[in-house]
Amino acid sequence: MEIKFTLQGLLVYLTMAAYLAAFVATSLRRARLGHILFLAGFAISVIAYGYRWNHVRHVPLQNLFEVFLSLGMLCYPISLFSRRVLRIGGQWADMVIGTIVLFPAGFVFNAEPQQLPPALQSWLFAPHVAVYMFSYVFMGKAFFQACEHLLTSPRTDSPFLPPEQATYEMICVGFPLLTLGLILGSYWGKQAWGDYWGWDPKELWSLVSWLVYVAYFHVRYMFGRRHARLNSQLAILGMAAIIITLLWVNLSRLFPGLHSYAS
Amino acid sequence: MGIMGNSMNEFRRAILWTALAVIALLTVLSIYGAFIGAERAQEFFNRIPLAVYWMFFAMLLAVAIVVFPRLVRVPGLLTVHAGCILILAGGMWGSKLGNDLQRRLLRIEKIRDGRMVIYEGTSENRVLLDDAGRVSKALPFSLRLKDFRIEYYQPANLYIETRDGRRWKVPVEVGKQFALGEGLGTAKVVRAFENFKMSKQDGKNVFLDDPNAGSNPALEVQIAQPNGQVATRYVFEKFPGHSQGQDAFLLSYHRAISDFISEIEVVENGKVVAAKDVEVNYPLHFGGYHFYQSSYDDKAGQFTVLSVYSDTGLYIVYAGYWLLCLGAVWHFWLRHALKRLRPKSA
Repeated sequence: MEIKFTLQGLLVYLTMAAYLAAFVATSLRRARLGHILFLAGFAISVIAYGYRWNHVRHVPLQNLFEVFLSLGMLCYPISLFSRRVLRIGGQWADMVIGTIVLFPAGFVFNAEPQQLPPALQSWLFAPHVAVYMFSYVFMGKAFFQACEHLLTSPRTDSPFLPPEQATYEMICVGFPLLTLGLILGSYWGKQAWGDYWGWDPKELWSLVSWLVYVAYFHVRYMFGRRHARLNSQLAILGMAAIIITLLWVNLSRLFPGLHSYAS
Repeated sequence: MGIMGNSMNEFRRAILWTALAVIALLTVLSIYGAFIGAERAQEFFNRIPLAVYWMFFAMLLAVAIVVFPRLVRVPGLLTVHAGCILILAGGMWGSKLGNDLQRRLLRIEKIRDGRMVIYEGTSENRVLLDDAGRVSKALPFSLRLKDFRIEYYQPANLYIETRDGRRWKVPVEVGKQFALGEGLGTAKVVRAFENFKMSKQDGKNVFLDDPNAGSNPALEVQIAQPNGQVATRYVFEKFPGHSQGQDAFLLSYHRAISDFISEIEVVENGKVVAAKDVEVNYPLHFGGYHFYQSSYDDKAGQFTVLSVYSDTGLYIVYAGYWLLCLGAVWHFWLRHALKRLRPKSA
């Protein structure tokens, strides 16, 4: 663990502080103040991302520092979209997700700029990684909603969708992005390495994530809400598979493969 | 009718349970595949029992489309499931087993995958099929390598490290001095070599950039100490950590590769019929094959290695990708978005 004494590090810490303050304010029933702080955190994260982009001179999605930086930036717009368009609450959870995903960027991963190796110099690089980032944040929200469903008793006074339904809606939004990420990656693999499916550990784990959500849809179709807890458990399992895909594959020596440059 | 309906429902339920079992099995197999590494996983997923599994999976999807009216009625679901069938069918058709079957049953003689080693200025049509390069097959055309080159990001970097772990990254600019801080002096790159060679002339060591074939990138670096003493050191890209025991600094030279480029011409019946600069992400497609920049001669830069892949089954898989993506986007997003918009326009 290291503290980054750089402007980039400072911007990450400020964003985290704003997200945390937003969470505290929301918990103290100061929803408006919480929202303003969340928005401020987002604004700082955009500056942090823009600064990084200018620094490395390519879309900053190459390594885990940049990936987590982008995840931290996406939390606010996705939270706003979910609240306004889909009637899904849990804004407090989005502030927590934002803080959690920025933690590794701030304290764990190396921020030294890297030049793009030849394999990453493709028009598919940005869309392939970006759609995955969006889908991961949606699935992260689904995970929190599923946990809420399993751990809390149902509320009747909430203006938002009940957690089980909200989990489903979030997965419905995230799943096409997950599919697109998988397919863009496969197409890119064909362009760069020769085969559209290389049986690489990261590919297989991303397939596992996709299959868990496919199973979720089939189980929900089969049982409806008769086994609602099972639906939520599958949504949690899906998030576990995503975390393994995102982190373990790049960090663990167990799974060396073609995607190791992303570590 | 009631009995018929009941048995149909039972059948549908059985199909759904089977689908869940098939998905669960693929999930478990994929996790297993991730643990054994790409090479063994590829071999594992191409075995006969797995071929039976893939076939069963594709048939199950087809049966599901037939027995679930909802899968036909809802366009998004139909395209998603049909897309999966195409991906499985294309994958099987283009697999090693699929190629073997095509050779035996349809007498289609096509190389599935391999690699070509081509020297600069020569033509080659042999595709090496095994790692040792003992088994090969000929293509009906040849590839000629006009030139192979590697491009690097500019500037390259010289890394300077003290014995106590302080480190500097210095952009390589010949003639420019770099201050290392108080009490440590300065460093200056005096000369950059592409192919460093040393020879003896009149009993003295002479260092030169050899214009002949070969590659030994190096830097001549002068370290000036605060007391005025100047030491000259040679830093080699291919031999990191090469330093003298009494040196205060460890030096290393690093150039980041930005591109590998093979200038290729396709020669058929003695005529050049196509030409392309093959780079990573920009393969050559000709005669039902894709040719990829894969490796090169890292000692002298005299030859390139291209990997070769047949395009058999590829476009069926791509069609499946399109259907799967369009179906998912339509079913989960667009039809809901359109529903939301409709009342407003009404």
